[in-house]
Amino acid sequence: MPELERTLRALELAWPETPDVAGRLELAPRRRRRRLALAAAACAAAAVAAAFAVPQSRSAILRVLHLGGVSVVRVGTLPAAEERPLASGLGTPVGAAEAARFLGRPFLPPGRRRLYLNDGFVSTLLPGPVLLTEFGEPYLLKKIAGATGAEPVEVAPGVPGLWLGARHVVVFPGAPPRLAGDVLVWADGHVTYRLEAPSLGRDEAVRLARRILGTAAG
Amino acid sequence: MRAVEGRPLDERELVLRARRGDGSAFADLVRMHQQTAYRLAYLIAGTDAEDALQEGVLKAWRALGRFRPGAAFRPWLLRIVANEARNRRRAAGRRAALELRAARAGVSGDAAPSPETDAVAAAERARLLDALEALPDEARLVLACRYLLDLSEAETAAALGVRRGTVKSRTSRALDRLREAYGDA
Repeated sequence: MPELERTLRALELAWPETPDVAGRLELAPRRRRRRLALAAAACAAAAVAAAFAVPQSRSAILRVLHLGGVSVVRVGTLPAAEERPLASGLGTPVGAAEAARFLGRPFLPPGRRRLYLNDGFVSTLLPGPVLLTEFGEPYLLKKIAGATGAEPVEVAPGVPGLWLGARHVVVFPGAPPRLAGDVLVWADGHVTYRLEAPSLGRDEAVRLARRILGTAAG
Repeated sequence: MRAVEGRPLDERELVLRARRGDGSAFADLVRMHQQTAYRLAYLIAGTDAEDALQEGVLKAWRALGRFRPGAAFRPWLLRIVANEARNRRRAAGRRAALELRAARAGVSGDAAPSPETDAVAAAERARLLDALEALPDEARLVLACRYLLDLSEAETAAALGVRRGTVKSRTSRALDRLREAYGDA
């Protein structure tokens, strides 16, 4: 080998220490896409290619938890984020057919309601107010302070969920990070659901999630 | 790595398990390659490397169903992590920088050099790194992949998103430029 290549290869460099990402992974089981009896319409996967800007994590990342399209990252210190109303930055109004095209199945619960689309994320405001967001492929990154955590819950038999009761930062595409709390996320098939319900507790949020999933047959 | 009946699982078995949804097998796979993947991300995205690695790993987990059984896992993971690093670098709007220093210990194989020899060698290493750093992005990255990370041509091609032939020709041109800059013709 020529001298220059040999010298390059033999250089010992002061690389930064490699973070143990493998040791922090808590991966929810990847479930094969199954045909749900209650959701016969839910068969086409939405191919949503959303560019996702995530703020840099300047503080040490303690743990990463992954459920459906949601990444929950525990950090030592929350990044800077704004307090904003639930209704802010939902995207542009969209019809039910257009929403279904992005999700690969109709938005749940069905019915006449205002839907908004933002980079593949379909949202609506329910009474409460409760913000319900459904999405296919893109990630949703949350950052949680180290002292708090995400509590696993079972939204329905075989449908895992996470309850994030404490203050955390949520990052939607194209929007600045904002503070959130009292959030339930769950994944069913290829669709991930996010329910932000400041007025509901965990149990009530889980009951609402079950009712939403139960409307798939209708 | 975990063992079954005293035998460590090889990569192929881990991939099969991970494809069946075994998160622990996937973590073992990541552990085997995370140092190379992190360093690659560092070469491309600098201080955003940790985020790039983390997001790349999660994307790999989600995409594992599309991974071709029997294929090599490392180039596949490197491709995903490198893509993530490039996206972050683009978003940050900055040039990739090596930001590397030669370790004080120097070049492998040195046998207890005198302080004077060590100082000269350290200066030479720093000069070589400076010359490497001054190369255009394409040239710098291909040389870093091939010689600093010791990636194969195929792995370098996967990481940089180019053909293997392109790696070969780009490496050759980059070495010429480095020789010219470093004065090792």
